[in-house]
Amino acid sequence: MIRSLLLAGLFSAGLSAAALAQSHPPHAQPGELEVDPYTVSDANAGADPIEDADVFVAFGGEAGIARVVDGLLERVREDERIEGIFRASDWPRLRRTLIEQFCYILGGPCTYTGRDMASVHRDHGITTREFNALVENLQDAMDAEGIPFALQNRLLARLAPMHRDVVTR
Amino acid sequence: MMRLLSLLAALLVSGQAAAEDVTVRVTTPAGEPVAHAVVSLPGALPASPADVVHEMAQEDLRFDPFVLVVPQGAEVVFPNRDRVRHHVYSFARDNAFELELYGREQERSVVFDAQGNVPIGCNIHDNMIAYIRVVDTPHAVVTNADGVAVLEGVAAGPVTVWHPYANAENNRLVLDAPADGSTLDVTLDVHGRR
Repeated sequence: MIRSLLLAGLFSAGLSAAALAQSHPPHAQPGELEVDPYTVSDANAGADPIEDADVFVAFGGEAGIARVVDGLLERVREDERIEGIFRASDWPRLRRTLIEQFCYILGGPCTYTGRDMASVHRDHGITTREFNALVENLQDAMDAEGIPFALQNRLLARLAPMHRDVVTR
Repeated sequence: MMRLLSLLAALLVSGQAAAEDVTVRVTTPAGEPVAHAVVSLPGALPASPADVVHEMAQEDLRFDPFVLVVPQGAEVVFPNRDRVRHHVYSFARDNAFELELYGREQERSVVFDAQGNVPIGCNIHDNMIAYIRVVDTPHAVVTNADGVAVLEGVAAGPVTVWHPYANAENNRLVLDAPADGSTLDVTLDVHGRR
């Protein structure tokens, strides 16, 4: 009896070790790297959705949000203040999860499947200066899409408190 | 002439007698093996550095190895195998340096010209600590997990055993070399563990 309990314990320990291996989550797109397991939840987005349907429309829906994210990532890639942080990033996954996150926060019909803000930023040693540089790039990307200033600020107001979880230095 | 010949003979004899392997086993007073100890014997460095790649990698937010020993003048590469950046630095006198290494950046290196100890850290990840010991001898080996180091073809001379956490003056002990072929057992009190 004791032996079989012991065996069962060993077996389940083996199973949980296997479950901790990296894998492609079901929502991953081709080209994404494998990731450590985590629990998917909209709460990971780090902000509640804006409950004003006009905002999502003003951003041009999912397609407009995708253009803002692409504009943001193009600018980040060229920004010597912060491009180094992203040099080894999983860009396909970064793009997908950013679109999901913005879409969810802007009240769109999206689910956020990425990890929480503290987990994804923890080991990057990001400074306030670097956080602010990213915000500047986002503002420029929204300007380029012709999104009105007041509506830009609706999104930025939801993102700003993430400073707590993103900045660690 | 006779003097020259006898000198030559003396050199030959001492040369033959000296070249041997020395095995050193380092343990704590409790008998546990001490890995990461640098065991060295004196010797002359070659005029130009040997063609050896010395590496202090960063992987899973740790330095690997924890202790690296290199001859004076050696070039050490610092490959970053993580996806996050590291900011590696040392304040060591005469060997101070800093490297900002982006994710997966593999190519950067530092030349260590002065002998001495180079404690290194990461400005972003405070738990990352390692040590590079720069020595003026080609005969230096780091003990393995069993606390054992084997030095091949060394000349006679005192054996120095150094560990970053050794409870000893200058973190080291200096001992007489063992008799031919025997193993030198060294007891070293160390605090903390990697």
